Amino acid sequence: METIIRGIIVYLFLLIIFRLNGKRALYEATVFDFVLLLIIAETTEQGLLGEDHSVTGSILLIITLIGMDILMSLLKQEFKFFEKAVDGGPLILLDNGKLLHDRLKKERVDEADILESARELKGLMRLDQIKYAILEKDGTITIIPQEES
Amino acid sequence: MKKHNGELEIDEDLKLEHRTWTVQRVSWGVMLLLVLAALLGFTGRGGLPGISTIKETSASQTIELEYQRFLRSETVDELSVKLKDLKTTAPTLYFSKDFVERMQVEQIVPEPEKVETGPDGITYTFSTTQAESHIVFYTKPLEIGNLQVTMRGPDNSTINFSQFVYP
Repeated sequence: METIIRGIIVYLFLLIIFRLNGKRALYEATVFDFVLLLIIAETTEQGLLGEDHSVTGSILLIITLIGMDILMSLLKQEFKFFEKAVDGGPLILLDNGKLLHDRLKKERVDEADILESARELKGLMRLDQIKYAILEKDGTITIIPQEES
Repeated sequence: MKKHNGELEIDEDLKLEHRTWTVQRVSWGVMLLLVLAALLGFTGRGGLPGISTIKETSASQTIELEYQRFLRSETVDELSVKLKDLKTTAPTLYFSKDFVERMQVEQIVPEPEKVETGPDGITYTFSTTQAESHIVFYTKPLEIGNLQVTMRGPDNSTINFSQFVYP
């Protein structure tokens, strides 16, 4: 019983804490983000299993975590507002060539992040070549270039 | 699907974003408070004396108990007992039922000569040739919640203490 309760608590906690951290939380922008993710994984493992080293414990825990994931996806499919609350939605950061500074500030991203995505995804060189930049719910910034005239 | 500027199909929900930003900023405050509380000692495993480590002396001034107010489940912590003005070479220490049932004693330094359990608790008998003795219990709580323990020393003076065990 304890394993399952631990699994549910940790699942919900991680879901909430990463949502509170913002869209860019899990996006591996720097090497350190990756290191941080590893440390969190290691810490979580202790809380999940405690001193239970049994196969039964692991199997129950995996079933619990996958089960929670299935439950979440079913709820998201059924209730649209639930999906939005859990996953968030896309947000326009650069609108028709114009940077929306208040949104950048609130989401803790900057021009350099947009330019990085522009280079990576579209091979663009300057900000004025971008028509729209959108912060997606998974933390990536997608770019729509200006149409060439 | 909504169209932004008549061309970009995007399901942007600004109301939700604004609400999320507010909740995020409130949560940062809560996290900061939690960290401060933990640094002060409200969550166990160290902190300021008087908050996490409590010292208590029996009415007869012969027993000094130092215990942790907050413990964490399945995590070992110390409970230290100082006995003074000993009139016997075989001092005893009694702990009430909660201590036996909800704690696992990992180690006692020095080791007791004799351990006896009864229906209402456990009695340890030590052996010493000195008038003062310092005994440390390394305990691991097994159950979550509040723990109420009565401790009785060799001269029958008692100390009541309570510990809270976090999950």
